Amino acid sequence: MGPLSRYDVNVLLYRLKKDAAFRDRFRRDPMDALRAAELSDDERDALVRWNPRRLNELGGSLHLLLSIPDLGAH
Amino acid sequence: MGRIVYAAAMSHVLHPPYYEKNVGPHGKRMVEELIAVVRDMGRELAARRPDALVVIADDHLNVFSFDAVPAMCVRIGRSVSRMAQEGAIEFDRALDGLAERYPLHEDLANRILEEGLEAGFDFAASWSAPLDHAFLSPLTVLHGDRAMTPLVPFWVNCFVAPLPSARRCFAAGQHIARVVADGPWNVGVIATGGLSHFPELSLARVGESDPEFDRRVVGWMERGDHASLTALTTKELHATGSHELLNWMVLLGAVAPARARVRFFGEMGRIDLAALAWDH
Repeated sequence: MGPLSRYDVNVLLYRLKKDAAFRDRFRRDPMDALRAAELSDDERDALVRWNPRRLNELGGSLHLLLSIPDLGAH
Repeated sequence: MGRIVYAAAMSHVLHPPYYEKNVGPHGKRMVEELIAVVRDMGRELAARRPDALVVIADDHLNVFSFDAVPAMCVRIGRSVSRMAQEGAIEFDRALDGLAERYPLHEDLANRILEEGLEAGFDFAASWSAPLDHAFLSPLTVLHGDRAMTPLVPFWVNCFVAPLPSARRCFAAGQHIARVVADGPWNVGVIATGGLSHFPELSLARVGESDPEFDRRVVGWMERGDHASLTALTTKELHATGSHELLNWMVLLGAVAPARARVRFFGEMGRIDLAALAWDH
């Protein structure tokens, strides 16, 4: 199964699902919202460009990617 | 002496709009047929007058975050709430309009937890975890207008690797059956989820199922071939999108050596739907 080391990406995806204020901030200025996050360049780029398929390839949880309000990947 | 008076497993997004949006009219029709079957099963459950209902299901990263994901978790306490998700989309919509709180069977939950730890099952315990669609969608269809049976929610980690093995889930079910047998209650056991969907949890493969695999595992359940079922590896479950069969493995351990009766089996394409019951 997938790698276990994608903690930071999935913490961000979880927060995007559950924290409306953070989600609004992310939608307004993703670079700023992610500033403090420990991410690889690849992960940061996939988040900023909101590329769910790439995020999933990088270990992002499918169920989170499918269900973030207004950003869901369906 | 307590008894398992009803046992069944079923798919858990019993929400026609979800399938209408993602599959189309035939998906909506198929889940409506399944819902009618589950309603009938609910009447059979009610006729057995259970004192408690153990419900084995998974979390979709709604309840447990990546900070801690228990392999198996027993919900204890007196009542449990419905998960709240503002701006809910997709399968979380199945929770819309449902009641806010549900009763728990505190004594049975405590026994499963405490005797589990004594027996070597390191179950996690939660006093606060809410229930998402994996529990509440089938439970509300099963109960219809009847009052909710006091619940013992039991989570299995089906999605965040590493997963518990099928064999270990089966053993946990055997433990639940022993606790029920030693207690005074009539107990129903429900497992939810599946069949195959979301192979490899890959977004690129959403929309695929594995009907051949599903027919094979359902056939094993009909024949009571629990050796073949518990030999399934988490790698096989992941490859076919059958992660949620781990919930069913717990139920299989609780009812073994009973054989399943297939009440519904439908190949939809995106997911295969099913409802099975065990005479016990």
